[in-house]
Amino acid sequence: MLSRIADNLYWMSRYLERAENTVRLLDVTQTVSLMPVGANQDDLNALLEISGLRSGYQSSHHALALPDVLKFFTMDEANPGSIYNCLRMARDNAHAARGKITAEMWESINSTWLDMRLRRTREIGVWNANAFFDWVKERSHLFRGATYGTIMRTDAYQFIRLGTFVERADNSARILSVKFHRIEDYDRPVSVADLYQWTALLRSVGAFEAYQEMYRGEVTPAKVAEMLIFRPDFPRSLRWCLDSIASILVKIRGDAGLAAKRQSAELFARLNYGHMDDVLAVGLPEYLQGLMADIADIGDSIRKGYLEAV
Amino acid sequence: MKVRPPGPGHYDEMLLAGNGIREHYRDYGQWLESCDEAWLAQRRQEADLLFHRVGITFTVYGDEQGAERLIPFDALPRIIPAQEWQVLERGLAQRVQALNHFLHDIYHEQHILREGVIPSEQVFTNTQYQLAMQGLDLPHDIYTHIAGIDVIRNNDGRFHVLEDNLRCPSGVSYMLQNRIMMMRLFPELFARYPVAPVAHYPSLLLDTLRHATPVDNPCVVVLTPGRYNSAYYEHAFLAQQMGVELVEGVDLLVKNEHVYMRTTAGLQQVDVIYRRIDDDFLDPLAFRADSSLGVPGLLSVYRKGNVVLANAMGTGIADDKSIYPYVPDMVRFYLSEEPVLENVHTWQCRRPDDLSYVLDNLHELVVKETHGAGGYGMLIGPKATQAEIEEFRARLKAAPHEYIAQPTLSLSSCPTFVEEGVAPRHIDLRPFVLCGRETRIVPGGLTRVALRDGSLVVNSSQGGGTKDTWVLEEVTPC
Amino acid sequence: MKLSISHDTTYAYEGEVSRSTQYIRLTPHSSERQTVFQWTLDLPVDASQLHDAYGNIVHVMTIDHPHDAIAIRARGVVEILPDADEGSDGINPLFFLRETPLTRADESIRDYAALHMQGAARRGLEHLMADLLLRMPYTPGSTHVYETAAESFAKGAGVCQDHTHVFIACCRSQGIPARYVSGYLHTDDDEHLASHAWAEAWVDDHWHTFDVTNGLLVPSHHLKLAIGLDYMEACPVRGVRWGGDNEHLSAQAAVSLAEYPLFTDQ
Repeated sequence: MLSRIADNLYWMSRYLERAENTVRLLDVTQTVSLMPVGANQDDLNALLEISGLRSGYQSSHHALALPDVLKFFTMDEANPGSIYNCLRMARDNAHAARGKITAEMWESINSTWLDMRLRRTREIGVWNANAFFDWVKERSHLFRGATYGTIMRTDAYQFIRLGTFVERADNSARILSVKFHRIEDYDRPVSVADLYQWTALLRSVGAFEAYQEMYRGEVTPAKVAEMLIFRPDFPRSLRWCLDSIASILVKIRGDAGLAAKRQSAELFARLNYGHMDDVLAVGLPEYLQGLMADIADIGDSIRKGYLEAV
Repeated sequence: MKVRPPGPGHYDEMLLAGNGIREHYRDYGQWLESCDEAWLAQRRQEADLLFHRVGITFTVYGDEQGAERLIPFDALPRIIPAQEWQVLERGLAQRVQALNHFLHDIYHEQHILREGVIPSEQVFTNTQYQLAMQGLDLPHDIYTHIAGIDVIRNNDGRFHVLEDNLRCPSGVSYMLQNRIMMMRLFPELFARYPVAPVAHYPSLLLDTLRHATPVDNPCVVVLTPGRYNSAYYEHAFLAQQMGVELVEGVDLLVKNEHVYMRTTAGLQQVDVIYRRIDDDFLDPLAFRADSSLGVPGLLSVYRKGNVVLANAMGTGIADDKSIYPYVPDMVRFYLSEEPVLENVHTWQCRRPDDLSYVLDNLHELVVKETHGAGGYGMLIGPKATQAEIEEFRARLKAAPHEYIAQPTLSLSSCPTFVEEGVAPRHIDLRPFVLCGRETRIVPGGLTRVALRDGSLVVNSSQGGGTKDTWVLEEVTPC
Repeated sequence: MKLSISHDTTYAYEGEVSRSTQYIRLTPHSSERQTVFQWTLDLPVDASQLHDAYGNIVHVMTIDHPHDAIAIRARGVVEILPDADEGSDGINPLFFLRETPLTRADESIRDYAALHMQGAARRGLEHLMADLLLRMPYTPGSTHVYETAAESFAKGAGVCQDHTHVFIACCRSQGIPARYVSGYLHTDDDEHLASHAWAEAWVDDHWHTFDVTNGLLVPSHHLKLAIGLDYMEACPVRGVRWGGDNEHLSAQAAVSLAEYPLFTDQ
């Protein structure tokens, strides 16, 4: 398929995935704020940190307050990472690649965008944020469902999925690296006060129920990390993402993306045959830094190999 | 719902003078009368919503925001009986055939100029005459693979050709979408009426394009200026319906005497380009250097015969308004037939006699720029202010050869949903003619409607809407 | 007269160009008035060759890998036969009445042309040509390559390209077909660049040479490379590139008398 269109499809799904991930993060922060312990400055900082938007926020805001952060992440036109902008970019990319997506997919993403514009005219605050978050997740699921159910399994489909998993891998690694910044003992069950935080983290990646089912009971940082890095059956783990990326790349025709294919297969092998002990031996933050750099390299090779191919 | 009658002396597609209704609208009229107004309004709202959701929108020129608007869709169909269509079809095929002959002739031996049917200088000094086409042989001698011929019905009920569109005629997607919409909104009507289908247009188009090259199993693409172009929706729609790539200039590369597109699997050769970009923008190395829409080097590949452009370069010379008056003569010259469809009488302001007549009668005439399009740069005498008339008088005197004039036609009207109910509004018709192995015309076309009361300007850029066009199939009684 | 030509053109870019395509009109073709004995064009990559609408020889070259310079080298020997009549090239002369952005006659050019072209067309044009050089003295560096006829005429200065554009604009405004010629000129001094441009006008059913810059009516020292409506259509190199930032052009053309067939190429 055309390199330019592949680029549009890839970024369309990256932006959609980014919107969904952002909403998940906001959702937990918001939920925590309603609990007795409340959301503190650390949580809000972490949010800005994960999305790499701290300086953007600080340039337009003096104080760190939940209502401001909410607005910044949802409706702010000046924030390139806001849900509003993610959905706009996703829709713009879909528009440019319109000939390669099905009518159902286009209608889904276009009506999401039209609705988003309408929603932006209304005030958003702590009182109605949940409904908005649910709406974004629902629209994301709907689009994914429309894609799954209607599009031919050609290269177009592969680039759409590639965008999803590259974005998700990046996002999972970011969440982990921010949350695990100051852990001293990975195996000690977390304190009651911290439990809310950890539960929130699990919820933010939609992993809370799954964690309960698999690990039953106590929450330890090591187990959370293991789940988000190594679980082969959890669709937001890094291993799962890399497995997907590597197997998608194999299906794309042509020799253009050899570097991306090799890098993703190597990284997948490291995760597939990896263990928490290796992680703890180098230190989790360092390990995650390495992962994030590798994921960025894969993204770069995908771009060079397919998306701007001469 | 009640239908308001047209003014006296007007030809209405549905209503007869007096209180009668034309035969082919009788069933529809009964149905409409039985419809509840609120229900109809609801259906029309549904249509608007669907059009928006599907994104059938166009971009308005000069609108800096690049805002997308909906072309208003009117839910009341324009119905053409079978016998009328047969005449139209014959006339359109004949006309486009003659136009193709003309293009081949002026880019080769120029018989029509030598025999004095058309003055040479009117061709060679016309910027639409493309020197690069001179002497170039095209597969099957076809220049205009896709033509959109604008037809209007005058007071006397006869069809006249108002304009030929032989460069990149647009609007066919509305023909297709309007039909889909009507079938969705009013399925019961299609049980009552034998409406000829139009949905096979994309496959006929693909067949036409594939036939346009001697290459076996050719790679066909649609070349669009991009998504900020007013007709982008249509480009994407047609590419998708045909199952071919929608490319922009940046996707294509000229190398080793061929055109390639840049794909995720490397360079792939392109054989046929259905281009929706004007000649001037096709190759920045040969034409407008500031064009970023085209493909550098494309002209060289085209002249080598290694890629087919549909339509060919240089077709604009045949649909130029200064050449339009000669089309009936072309039919006689090349086909030795009498034209089935008439032209609208046209005064060529380049001729001193015509000019003085036009200057004396500006308040009654429509004056058009010979190179203008889209309803821009024209004067509608009866609707113009004295100041506008004087402005045009000055322009005409300064450059008479850039203008033609025509009588103010009373385009036929068709009942249309408007604020105050159902009232007559003026319409035209653009059927699409495909030239390949044979000349084919999908029974239908784009009916454009001037939504303002009394207005004769149907262009979407100036407040026009569209209607579904029903060509009825002949039903043989059993 | 036999001329030996050596013409080097180099484009250097400040940044990397990811791909580029050029139309190159640096190859003369033989005609009644010039015989090409030998000609080579060295290009960085393979190019395809064709004739454009005017019959000019054009090379089309695409470089689709990153590059930061393009070097083009033309060498050859051509004999000029100034007294021969070229005859018609099959293009209807009326075509050359067409205005282009670079040759559009504004009001002052139209008035000027009307004033100086009274009487017989040929004599009128000769008179116009002589007066135009006084009106627009040859002034290297006074104009840029995309200057329009109207702009340089208003400035009252120019180089051969500007003289030619203004002259063409004058002709067309008077209903005389005229065209742009790009080529080489042999001169005894070094004052003029060897790469040259002049005009041809259609009078009495023939194309006549009008070299405004040199006041010449007979193309005795002129080697014809290409013709067109204006510079943009006849120019030696026209290209489009992706990336590359600023471009630096250096060109050197030498035209000398080839008394003996000395020309060799490594």
